[in-house]
Amino acid sequence: MNHRGGWALIQRTWLSWMQYRSFFFLLAFGWMIPPLIYLFVWSTAAGSQDVGGISRGEFVAYYLILILVNQLTYSQTNWTVGDEICYGRMNQMLLYPMSPLYHALASEIAGKVVYMIFVVPVTVVLALVLRPELHAGPGEVLAFIPALVLAWLLRFFWGYWLALLAFWAARSDALVAVQDALVFLLAGQIAPVALLPGALQDLAIALPFRYMVGFPVEVITGQVSGSAMITGFVIQIGWTVAAMLLYRVMWQRGLRRYTAIGG
Amino acid sequence: MTQAQIDVRHLSKTYRVPERQPGLAASLRSLVRPTHTDVPAVQDISFRVEAGEIVGFIGPNGAGKTTTLKMLAGLLYPTGGEATVACCTPWERQPAYLRQISMVMGNKSQMLWDIPPLDSFRVLAEIYRLPAHEFHATLDLLVDLLDMNELLTKPVRNLSLGERMKCEMVAALLHRPAVLFLDEPTLGLDVSTQRRLRRFVREYNQQTGATIILTSHYMADVVELCPRVILIHHGSLLYDGALGGLVERLAPFKLIRLTINPENSNGAVDRALTDEIDVLEREAGRLVLRTARSATPAITARLLSTLPVLDLAVEDPPIEAVIDQIYQEGNV
Repeated sequence: MNHRGGWALIQRTWLSWMQYRSFFFLLAFGWMIPPLIYLFVWSTAAGSQDVGGISRGEFVAYYLILILVNQLTYSQTNWTVGDEICYGRMNQMLLYPMSPLYHALASEIAGKVVYMIFVVPVTVVLALVLRPELHAGPGEVLAFIPALVLAWLLRFFWGYWLALLAFWAARSDALVAVQDALVFLLAGQIAPVALLPGALQDLAIALPFRYMVGFPVEVITGQVSGSAMITGFVIQIGWTVAAMLLYRVMWQRGLRRYTAIGG
Repeated sequence: MTQAQIDVRHLSKTYRVPERQPGLAASLRSLVRPTHTDVPAVQDISFRVEAGEIVGFIGPNGAGKTTTLKMLAGLLYPTGGEATVACCTPWERQPAYLRQISMVMGNKSQMLWDIPPLDSFRVLAEIYRLPAHEFHATLDLLVDLLDMNELLTKPVRNLSLGERMKCEMVAALLHRPAVLFLDEPTLGLDVSTQRRLRRFVREYNQQTGATIILTSHYMADVVELCPRVILIHHGSLLYDGALGGLVERLAPFKLIRLTINPENSNGAVDRALTDEIDVLEREAGRLVLRTARSATPAITARLLSTLPVLDLAVEDPPIEAVIDQIYQEGNV
C-alpha cells in the first residue's frame, strides 16, 4: 500500500483535469439527463394521486438524490482501464512501486470533485423549483452514508474486474456497456425498485446492480427499512466483497498475460 | 561466482497472436473459432551484467530487444527461463524491486501534458517516498547536468521533443535507480540534443555507479557509451562482447585512404594495386582501398615506399556498414 503516492496522484490528476472542467461539466450534464427524464415522467404520473405509495414530491426527492448518487458512484475509469491494457499504456503505471489501482482511484476521486462542482448547484436549483418531499431522520441519514460508500466500491470494482477482461479479449468495454444498461434497468433509474413488476423486482434485489445506485437512495428516502434494509446491506456487502475478490484474481492472472504492446 | 547486478538465464518469451484474414466472413469465423499463432520474440537468451556497466543492446527492429528489456523491468512474464536483477526476480514486481529500477522509453512519456514538469516530479517524489532534502538534491543535480532549469515551470505541452526527453530523464532518475533501462532514449532528437543526452548518461553512470542497458538504432550512442554490446537477432543472442571485437569479426578488412601526387603517378599506381587490394574509389590522386586486416601493415609500407604519397590513413570500415551487414545476413 502506498497511500502517500496515491494522494499525490489524486492531486496531480485534479490539477490536470481542472484545465478541462467545461468538458467534464458537459459529461456530467449528459449523465443527469436519463434520471431527469424519469423524474418528470414519475412526478407527472403522481401529480394527482400517489403511485405505489409514493407521492409527487417523494418522486422528486428520490430522483434528485439518485442524480447525486449516480454521479458519485459512476466509475468512468471502467471505460479507460481496458484501453490502457489494450494499447500498452499501462506500462508506465506498472513501473511505479504502487498498484495501478491507485491511478484509477485518483481519476475517480479527482473526477468526483470536478463533477460535483457542477452537479450540486444544478441539483439545488432543481430542488428549489420542484419542491421535493424528504422525510429523512438521523437514522436514515446514518444508514445512507455506508450504503453510498459501498455502492461506489461495488460499482467501481465490478466495472474494474470486467474491464480487466481486456487482458484476454481486446475489447472488454462491451461488457462495461452491458453493466451500464443493467444499472439503468435494475438499479432504480427507470423506476424505483419497489415499483418494478414481481419477477423483475426479485431479479433486481438478487443482482448487484441495485446496490450500485438505487439502494442508498431507497435507504435515505425510507423506501426500504427494517429487515429489508438489513438484508439489503448484507447483499450489498456480499457483492462488494465478491467484486473485490474478482478484481484480485483477474489482476493476478491477467498480468501474466499482459503483452505490454507498443514501445 | 559473485552475484551479478543483472543475471539472465535462458530467458524466452513467446507471444500468442490472434490471426485473422481480412473480410467480414473471416471475422465471423474468428469469432467462433479464433486461431492463434505463436511468435517467438526472445529465445533462450543468457547474459550477465556487472554493477556499474553500460551495455548496448543492438539488433534490428523486431529482434526482441524491447521484449527483453520489458521482462527485466517486470512488465512482462517470460515464457521460460530466469532472471535476477538487483537480487530480485523482476516479474514478481515487488515494490522494493521497482524502487531500484527505472525505464525510459523514447516513444512513451510519463509526463502529464497539462501541468509543468515540476508538479509531475513532486508526485514522483511521493510515489517513491523520497525525503524532501533527497528529492531537492537529486533534482538540482539532474537539472544542472541537463541544463534545464528554465523548463521546470512551463507546461509540458509547450516543450519541444528534446526538452520533453530531458524531463523524461529527470523523471526516470529522481529516485536514483541502481538499474536503468533506456529504450531508444535518443529517438527523433537532433544531433546536439543526442550528444547532450549521451554525455548526461555517461556522467550519471560515473557519478552514481548505476548499471545501464541501452538500446538504440543510432550507432553513435552505442559507440560513445557502451564498451560492451549484446547483439540480438530473431530473438537469439548472436554476440556479447566489445563493439570493436564485433567489427573485427565481421569485417576482417581495413580501409586505406590515400592521397598521392597525381602527376605522372598513374603507371606506378597501377603497378602498386596488386590483386590483394580492392579499389573502392579512385579519382584524381585520391583512392580508397580495402585490404585484408592481416595484410594491411605490409601493404601500407609498400604503398608508402613506391608511391608519391601526400596523405595516408588506415581506418576500420564504418560501424553502420558492419551492423547493416549483420542485420541483412542474420549471423555473425
